Parts: sequence; structure tokens; C-alpha cells
Amino acid sequence: MEKLVHMSVIDVKNLTKTFKTHRKEPGLLGSIKGLFRREAFYNEAVKSVSFSLEEGELVGFLGPNGAGKTTLLKMLSGILTPTDGEVRVLGFVPWQRERAYQRQFAIVMGQKNQLWWDLPPAESFSLNRDIYQVDPKAFRRTLDEMVALLDLKEILDVPVRQLSLGQRMKCELVAALLHQPRVLFLDEPTIGLDVISQEKIRGFIQEHNRLKRTTVLLTSHYMKDVEQLCRRVLVINHGRIVYDGSLAELSERYIDHKVVKIRFAAPQAAAVLSGEAGIVELDEHHAVLKVKKKEVAQTTHRLLGLLPIEDLSVEEVEVEEVIRRIFGEEP
Amino acid sequence: MKRSDNSLLGRAARYFFLYRSFLAHNLKNEMIYRANFAIAVGMDLFFMGVNVVFFAILYANVETIGGWTFHQTLVLVGSVGVVREIAYLTFRQGFLELGEYIRTGRFDAMLTAPMAANVHLAFRHVSLTESLGEGLMGLALVGYGFAHLDGAKWTAIPFYLLMLINSLLIYYAFCLLVNSAVFWLVKSQELNTVIYYFMDTARYPREIYRGLGKLFFTFIVPSSLIATGPASVLTGRAEPGLIGLSLGVAAALLSLALAVWNWSLQHYSSASS
Amino acid sequence: MRKYWTVFWVNWQNALQYRGPTFIYILGNILRVAVLLYLWNAIYRDEGRLGDYSLPDLITYYLLQMWINSLVLSYSSWEIVDQIREGTFSNFLVRPVNYLHYWFTINLSWKLFEGLMIAVIGGLLSFFLVRHLSLPGRPETLVYFVLALILGGILAFEFDFLIGMLAFWLVQVNAFKYMLQSIIFFFAGALLPLDLFPQAFQAVATVLPFRYLVFFPIQIFLEKEAHPVEGLLGALVWAVAFYFFLRFVLRRGIARYEAVGQ
Repeated sequence: MEKLVHMSVIDVKNLTKTFKTHRKEPGLLGSIKGLFRREAFYNEAVKSVSFSLEEGELVGFLGPNGAGKTTLLKMLSGILTPTDGEVRVLGFVPWQRERAYQRQFAIVMGQKNQLWWDLPPAESFSLNRDIYQVDPKAFRRTLDEMVALLDLKEILDVPVRQLSLGQRMKCELVAALLHQPRVLFLDEPTIGLDVISQEKIRGFIQEHNRLKRTTVLLTSHYMKDVEQLCRRVLVINHGRIVYDGSLAELSERYIDHKVVKIRFAAPQAAAVLSGEAGIVELDEHHAVLKVKKKEVAQTTHRLLGLLPIEDLSVEEVEVEEVIRRIFGEEP
Repeated sequence: MKRSDNSLLGRAARYFFLYRSFLAHNLKNEMIYRANFAIAVGMDLFFMGVNVVFFAILYANVETIGGWTFHQTLVLVGSVGVVREIAYLTFRQGFLELGEYIRTGRFDAMLTAPMAANVHLAFRHVSLTESLGEGLMGLALVGYGFAHLDGAKWTAIPFYLLMLINSLLIYYAFCLLVNSAVFWLVKSQELNTVIYYFMDTARYPREIYRGLGKLFFTFIVPSSLIATGPASVLTGRAEPGLIGLSLGVAAALLSLALAVWNWSLQHYSSASS
Repeated sequence: MRKYWTVFWVNWQNALQYRGPTFIYILGNILRVAVLLYLWNAIYRDEGRLGDYSLPDLITYYLLQMWINSLVLSYSSWEIVDQIREGTFSNFLVRPVNYLHYWFTINLSWKLFEGLMIAVIGGLLSFFLVRHLSLPGRPETLVYFVLALILGGILAFEFDFLIGMLAFWLVQVNAFKYMLQSIIFFFAGALLPLDLFPQAFQAVATVLPFRYLVFFPIQIFLEKEAHPVEGLLGALVWAVAFYFFLRFVLRRGIARYEAVGQ
């Protein structure tokens, strides 16, 4: 009897990455000593991570800076070799960097520019076409599609250095997707962008994933990215996965509130907010409160009526806070 | 998606096609920086001129150096310029920028694209104008020297060209070998200074070396072969031994360089963050 | 004065950090000189002769030139130009540090460091080649030599600093700088001994102060310099005159820098 073995698109088992760096002693003597012997110092960036992704999934990796997200992506794309563990993407071992694998995935790193700086994006696109050996007709079709989706017609012939960060990021995405990769790795794609660009890019990723069933692995430290795009989210902290499940559950279980920040029009005595629950910070000019999501509208309305408020904003809970909550008591 | 032909010929064809594409893009890029062009060419001419003056003064005092006459030496000095220009047209600039690519994370893109990382690095920034002055003046010197030789043979020219290609392979292999160290060092600009010194020492006839020096400058730092090889052929001084040696060194050095490069890439893949 | 000491030591520490590049720098120098030594050897082996120089003279000349290059020739202008062009020069305007003295100290620190490195290696080389060297016979030669080196170092720094000052007035300084540095290199006798050049060139070279950088000290060492004391005094006069000239140029440069509003 034939046994059908189900293979995930991305399969990661006990992936570990430890970096070795050196420390130098201060002073002139330390420098001379440093010529002969240096103290080694180990950094465990990724600790025994395991997960798998199916075709067409759009998954988010959420975690604070330094959590190991970028290191993880670099291992999945073959840039880094792991210290331990197993990875298969589309059946390939990424760090063997086989051409057949490289032609089927793409990686885009936020704020890292791969386009030619002084030439228009159209040139970078055509070069990529040649590098990935894309059929010219297919290339034209794909390009026209994406240009239309992202509204890039006007800037195709403008040198990249003259484009805004948002426009550049869009072009980077297009450049990466021209060869119709089956897997897309995105490392902080919306970092440093203005709100409108962020939304446009999120929309594009969503649409592209829906149309082409590209498997997308996205890392971010913005909750918004993950909220809008991912049904499944993996939370990573200090190199470990601390949560792997649906976003809805994560939201419900750990994020039940938002942060309300208030600036008073005139100095207030502390007593003024004594009745309020969830006060995080309070001084005569500012107040920060944690308010349950359901009660945000109600509470802000009440506070606005009660106190002379100059500015009030409602913000997302920070990722760090989410992490802390997931851990429970751990700082 | 097109299934690529993985035979040697298929791969060569693909890389030739890719080179054309990269060259076209780089030329477009260079057109943007036209202003610096004149200055760069001027400087090249100046430095080559200094080179010629150096030998002119020496030859004002002696008839031959290592058996080479003044005109034969001009062919040799000119050949260095020609090799350098072709090197810039095919791979040199990439190595100069390798350190920066690694620092900015750009190099990672070369690891993920479906082409050999060292070829991607080579083609990323091929330059026509970077060493054009040297190339042109080199060509002029070779022409002038060749024209003034006793018993110059036109039939030597195709062999000269083949030897030039061989010299390029030696130069490339040396660059690749030395630049592999970039993955191990903190600061890397000095690596290309070594390579610059390397090409600098190529400007002299191989016959000046004796004993240990000869071995060193043939096998460890093969600069003595780079210009002497082709120039010997063009000036009719070549012996089969020298040609065979040049070819052998090219093949061996290239194999070694590729091995060291790949090993260094592995180190980069396990150590960088 | 104390702050300059600190600058000096911190710079040394900085230099020690980069062990790889330092090693490579030394290697490159050795390569270059080795090739030239083979060149001279080949010429003299074939019964040739360059001017008034015996083979030991020439070998000594180039070994010394290698050392003097690292000890004397200054490269401060590269960073000076960057500092002026990028605006970090402003930091010096607000701090109680004299720019000229600051750079003199940094340069001194670098040069002594490089000079020490090359001296060790050059010394080793010389040890193996001692039979082929022209060593001085008279004791006062070494005294004159050291004095010439000191003056040469000061002058080299002054010339380079002046070139760096160009950045106050020129935008495209680098190409120009290369050419000027090459000309100085030329007339210093770093490429070939000055007395091998054609007469017209030599006439110009005698008048210019650049010979004090490389050619003059080596001539003293080889005991080919007929008037060492006069030469040293000449170098001293140039050094002092240039110092005042530099102060003047620096003042004007600062004025321009502030006017342009970097």
C-alpha cells in the first residue's frame, strides 16, 4: 500500500543557533593582551525552536528586538547555518543553497535596500528577471499586476534614491515577488514607514497571499502587522517560542486591554483619579491607564468629561507587555 | 519556470548572459557619474606615466634588465594596465566593495539569489571607467613597445590574448583567495591594499628573481607571471616552460581560491549575526 | 599637554586593535621592497650600474626608504579632509584643543607605531642582508641621520597638513590631493634617488624642501651628503617657516569654514 507522506512547506525541528563573540579588556594593557588571547562569550540567539507551516499560510513571528526573529529567518533562507536542529523548506535544506531552492523563495528585510540606488526600480526588476530566469512574458504579466496593485506606475522610472521609504519598500516587495516564489520571508517589512505605507503594504501582502497562495513568514515587533495579516502567530522571546496558535486566542487570552495616555491641560492632584482602576503612571501633567478593550469608549468618554484633558490617545499594548503576560510573572 | 541546463556549457552560457545583463545595468549606472570620469582617467594616466618614467631613468643607465630591453619592458608595463582594466570590467570592483556589502547586510542578498555568490559579487559592480585610463595607456604602451621591437611577429597576438586571459584568472584567483579573509577580519580595507601591492609587483620582468624569491613570486604571490607571461609571448621571449607554468599556476590557484572562499563562506554562515 | 598624551596612547590602542590589517600593511611593504631589491640585484648582476650607486648603496637606500616611508610620510590629510568636508571639524572649534597640535600628536602616534613595526621587520631583513649594506663609518653620521629624520617627519606632517587644509577651499579635494602627494613623493626621492634624475629635474629638486623627507636623510646615512649641517639648518628653517605659514592658513581656513556655515 502506498503511504502518502504529508510534507509541510516549512518544517523546523529543534533549531538552535549560538554565536561566539569576543570581549576585550579595557586599557592599553588589555589591547596588547588582546593580540594574543581573547575571552570568548556565547550568545544563544535561537534555542531549540520547532514549528511547521503549510502551503499558503500567512504566519507572523512576534517578538521584541533581539528575540531571535531575524536570526531565524536567516537560517530559513540559508544565510546562516544553525548550531543544531533540522530545517526543511519545500523539501530543501536551506543552507545548502541549492539553486532550485533559491529560485523558489524570496526574502525581504525591512530597511535593507537591495535595489540599485541610482537607477529606476524598473532596472532592478529586469535584472532580477535575468537572475531568476523568469520567462519575459510571465515577467511582464506579473509586473503589471503588482504595479497595478501597489499603484507604482509613476515611479517605475524614477531613480530609487529619489523615492520615499514607503515607495522603496513597495518596490523591494515587487522585486522579490517577480519570480513567483512559493515562500516569502519578510523581516520587519513595515519598520520605519508612515502609517499609510504600512497599510498599503499590509494590504498588498494579504492580497498576494490570497491570490497566489504564497506561504508567508512575517516577523515584526508591531502588533498591527500581525493583527491585520495573520491568523496564526508565533511569539518568540529570548530565542524560544513561547506561543504558537491563533491570533484570536492570543488576543483574548493575553491582550484584554488597551493603553490610554492622557495629558492634562492644567496640573492635577493625584487624588483626582483615585477611583480609577488600572493606573500605570500618574503625575500632575500625565496619566497612563490600562483599560479593558470593551470599556475603552466608555472610560475615555467619562474621563474627558471629568478632567481638563489636553490630549488623549488610545494605544496598543506593547509587545513586551504581551510577552510578559504570556510568561505570567517573568519580567 | 525554465528548467536550467546544468551542464558546463549551459552554466557558462547562463553566466555569460547574466554578465551581459549586469554590464548593461552597470554602464547605465556609470553614465550617471560622468563628472568623476575625467578625473579618474587623468589620475590613471599620471600614475602610469610615473611608472614609465621610472623605467626610462633606469634604461638611461643600462641596456637591459634581466635580459629585457626598454621596449620589451614597455610591453610588460602596458600589459599590467590592460589586465587591470579588464579586471575592473569583470570582477575587481566587487571585491573592493565586499567589506561594505557585508557590513550593510547587502551581501546576504548575494547568498540568497540563485547564482554563485562569488560571481554575483563580481558582476554586481563591473566598471568600464574605473581603470579606463590605465587600460588605454596600457594598450598604447603595448602597441608602442611592440612596434619598436626587433623581430615583432603579428602571429604572436592571439597567443598574447590567451595569455592575458590566463593572467586574469591568476589575478582573479588571488583576489578571491585574499578577500576570503574578509569573513574573518573586523576591518577589511587593507586586504585590497595587499592586492594593490600584488599588482604593483607585477610590473617587473620575472627574470629579476632568483632562488627563493623566484619560487615565492611564482607560486605564493604569482605576480611575476601576470605581466611577464603575456609580454613574453608578444615579445617573442616565451618558452613553453613559462607558458605551461602560467597555465598550471592559474588552474591550481583558482582551485585553491574557490576552496578557501567556500570554506570562508561557511564560516560566515555560522558566525555572523 | 596631558590631553595630548592621552590622544597619543588612545591612538596606539586603536592601532593595536586591528591586528589583521597591521600585519597586512607590513606584509605589503615587505613585498614591495623585496621586489625592488631583486630588481637592483638583477641590474648589477648583469654588470649594470645606476649613477653613482653601488649595489649595497642601492639596497640600503631602499630599505631605509621603506622605513622612512612609514616613519616619516604622513597621511593625516585624508582624515583632515573628511573632518572638514563632513563638518566634524566643528567639534574642534568648540573644544580647547589646537587643531594643528592635535593632529601633530595623532600623526606622531601613528608614525611611531608604524615606524616601530617596520623597524622590527626591516631590522630583521637588514640582519640577513648585512653583508650587502652600506653602513656608515663615522659616528656623527648617525646623529645627523636622526636629526634629519626628526626634521623630515615634521616637514612631512606640515606638507600633508597643508594639503589637508585645501578642503576648506576645494570641493573635489581628493584627486588633487593624490597628485600633490605623488609630486611630493617624487621630489622626496622615494621613487628613485634624486641624483639619478635628469639635470633639469635635479635642479628643481634641490630647491624644493621635499628632498628633506627621504633623500636627504638617506644621503647622510650613506655618507654621500657633503654638507649635512647646512642641510639640517636648511630643513630647520623650512620647518619653522612652514609652521607659521600653517598657522596662518589654518586661521584663514577656519574663517572660511565659519563663513560658509558648515
